[in-house]
Amino acid sequence: MINVEKLFEKAKDKGFVDVQIFKTGTRDLSIEVFDGELEKYEIADTSSLTIKAIKDGKMVTFVTEVMDDEDIDMIVDAMLKNVSVITSVDEAEIYAGDEKYEELTGMYNPEMENLDIADKIDLVKKLDSFMHKEDSRVKIVECEYAESTKSVLLQNTKGLKLTDHLNSAYFGASAIVNDGKDQRTGFDLVISNDMADFKPEELSNAIVTDAIKALGSKPVPSAKYPIVFDRNAIAVLFSAFQRIFSADNVQKSMSLLKGKLNTKIGSDKVNIVDDPFLKKSNLSRSFDDEGVATKYKMLVEAGVLKTYLHNLVTAKKDKIQPTGNGFGGSVAPTNFMLLPGQATKDELIASLSNGLYITDVQGAHAGANPVSGDFSLQAMGFVVKDGKVAEPVALITVASNFIDFLNDIEEVGNDVRTSFYGITCPSVKVGPLSVSGL
Amino acid sequence: MLLTKNTIEQILEVGLSTGADFAEAFVEENYHNNFQLVSGRIEKANSSKSFGTGIRLARKLQSVYGYTNSQNPKDIIKLAEDLSKSFNDEEKTARKPLMKLETGTHHQVKKAPRDVSQEEKVSLMKKAYNAARNFDKAIQQVAINLIDSEQEVLIANSEGRFVTEKRYRVRIYINAVAGNGQIMQTGTEGPGSGKGYEYFDEDIDVEAVAKEAARTAITMLGAEECPSGVMSVIINNKFGGVIFHEACGHSLEATSVAKNASVFCGKMGEKIAAPIVTAIDDGTIENAWGSSNYDDEGYPQQRRVLIENGILKSYMIDLLNTRRMSGKATGSSRRESYKFAPTSRMSNTFIDNGSSTFEEIIANTKYGLFAAKMGGGSVNPGTGDFNFAVSEGYIVRDGKIAEPVRGASLVGNGADILLKIDMIGNNLSRAEGMCGSVSGSIPADVGQPTIRVSSVTVGGKKGDK
Repeated sequence: MINVEKLFEKAKDKGFVDVQIFKTGTRDLSIEVFDGELEKYEIADTSSLTIKAIKDGKMVTFVTEVMDDEDIDMIVDAMLKNVSVITSVDEAEIYAGDEKYEELTGMYNPEMENLDIADKIDLVKKLDSFMHKEDSRVKIVECEYAESTKSVLLQNTKGLKLTDHLNSAYFGASAIVNDGKDQRTGFDLVISNDMADFKPEELSNAIVTDAIKALGSKPVPSAKYPIVFDRNAIAVLFSAFQRIFSADNVQKSMSLLKGKLNTKIGSDKVNIVDDPFLKKSNLSRSFDDEGVATKYKMLVEAGVLKTYLHNLVTAKKDKIQPTGNGFGGSVAPTNFMLLPGQATKDELIASLSNGLYITDVQGAHAGANPVSGDFSLQAMGFVVKDGKVAEPVALITVASNFIDFLNDIEEVGNDVRTSFYGITCPSVKVGPLSVSGL
Repeated sequence: MLLTKNTIEQILEVGLSTGADFAEAFVEENYHNNFQLVSGRIEKANSSKSFGTGIRLARKLQSVYGYTNSQNPKDIIKLAEDLSKSFNDEEKTARKPLMKLETGTHHQVKKAPRDVSQEEKVSLMKKAYNAARNFDKAIQQVAINLIDSEQEVLIANSEGRFVTEKRYRVRIYINAVAGNGQIMQTGTEGPGSGKGYEYFDEDIDVEAVAKEAARTAITMLGAEECPSGVMSVIINNKFGGVIFHEACGHSLEATSVAKNASVFCGKMGEKIAAPIVTAIDDGTIENAWGSSNYDDEGYPQQRRVLIENGILKSYMIDLLNTRRMSGKATGSSRRESYKFAPTSRMSNTFIDNGSSTFEEIIANTKYGLFAAKMGGGSVNPGTGDFNFAVSEGYIVRDGKIAEPVRGASLVGNGADILLKIDMIGNNLSRAEGMCGSVSGSIPADVGQPTIRVSSVTVGGKKGDK
């Protein structure tokens, strides 16, 4: 580890007023099984140091993986050169700290890290074996377990020193199924730091059942269809658009939510929160990367936009308190959640009468525009006839605008879950949307 | 040198000590700069330095990988020892002695990022900013990102490979936002190179590129919603090549072929595309964005003809996947950094020139969509189903380019669309992108001449055409 006091001292000698370090230490383990054999086994031990320093009111950042005191002069010199060209009028700040930080419990589960590696490999092999036994049409299976243990240290020249320790793992599989006429894929995973949540049989059954059901998928005619989006599809869509809630994007005119504060942006059914204290989530935090205490907040309440997400700089610009969302050098949510309603997914589908049940959408990184809100995404799922799930559908696109989409939400399900996109949400029923297919 | 020859030899020795038949060390140092200009002001001027070692051991089909960013040789050798515990076999493979260290020299740069002052970088960004901002009153916002990196790698393996090279990358991203009070539309350009900063003197005019980004945003502001349905689609050159990259390229990587997960498995020598289609993946193009001297297993990069006149000629294969499939390694192994085990990936991938002119393709199309600029897309390698966003599109009517349309996406199947290419232009050009897959996000060129696909599903909000 680099000598922090020495780094602070050298930086101050060169004219930096305040300095902060944010150190992350990570241990990773990942296991992949392919066709019954351990195919990939990966271990890693890395650390990274993010240094922020302020001179003449301007903030500069240097990130290094080399924790060597010999690099201190090079780092301070590079920061000095870089800070000289910054002309930002943002009021940069190194944070002195909040009075109170939430105590997060259960963020680090030693049982998971202490469990023998052989037992983890067995767990993945078990999943692989269940998947193969599930159905003769299962042709190729890949199963994975990946675990990460992270420790975080924040320390600055204003006397703030905070630490956090957490671990998390995911357990999942993908399958290719083929009935001689058509080939489809299935995929799912579970995120937790409690080994008891990793249930190979249940997971295997869900993945294979879904993939088999999709065999024989065909496009439907182009038209407007009322749709139930499965929670997985909602997670993909929300992950593409969550950045529109960033005050940084709003202030830079890079978000379609600019000027929409306290206005209706969705139907009454839409309630969106940022919850930094969600249990078993690897996105939960008691403080953000700037040292600000995190807090639970409603972003959208009954369709009305209540707040943007802020870090220190964006909050100052809007003359409000920071929301504890200063992550990764910008603004980001912790656990972004669409709050559940009362209906089960089956009730949502039944209430649809005739339409589509979309299980997955793809292409959100390119087909969803956070500035205009327009999206056009490849989708797959099923036709819904008389309130019942019928034949499978693929190679269609669903297009709308994110704000129109929020306004079109008629009902929100109760089947909430955290997806690997970091979005926690239930399935949703939406009014007619443009679908293009045949 | 990043690690001493002695340390490297110990890593490989320890790696093979328990029965592994292959050991590899990948050592990397990367110095990266990222400057950002928004609203006329430099908001960010950040630098980063990374260093680390990735060690890979394999026995038959089983492989293990580990990485650390410790600089201490003891820690790195300890990692090799920890990994070697995965194997327990009497039968040991002997290590071939390391060859004399070979240094790649094919892609020389004239102005390395470290020799370029902060002021020069800022002035380049301001030029681009002003050009885009002043293009039209409706341009509301322009953001410029300038990134450069200098990566030094040292790669060694138990087969005796021992190579090093420096790889430079420079790229400018221009993002222009146009608005009219009701809607906002964007235009982006992101040219980059495996050159140093001479790229901005010799190859591109940042002002022209910035104006182009602004022009797209303005054009799309005045565009109608795209109609949907099945129609002929003309896909422009440069980034239009993303269609081949996604719909076909990924399915020709050993990553999916070796596991029988690709629609192109077992199709070697067979017709998989229309006879007018020849497609190439070439990692040797001088100073191209996706080029390097060596692949990330330390073998020379190559030019690979993937499809010739519609016939499948080659997959892209990395060393370890030759154990799962027939065929030799093609120098295609790549990774984002030491944090990723390498695997077969594309480099600079493009459809080769055909015989039609751009004008002929348009003139021969009665009704269809002209995808002048493509956004990104993705593909499911298991099924070949893909999707692409069209970032600048026009309706073609009676052989003429008509009104602009926005919000279009293309959906189809890779194996299917290759057979439906019915015209290929003679204006081949490449463009830069970042390609994400199992071994991380890597720079890759896509490219093609303007092509026409006889029928594609077009998604748009306007409804049926």
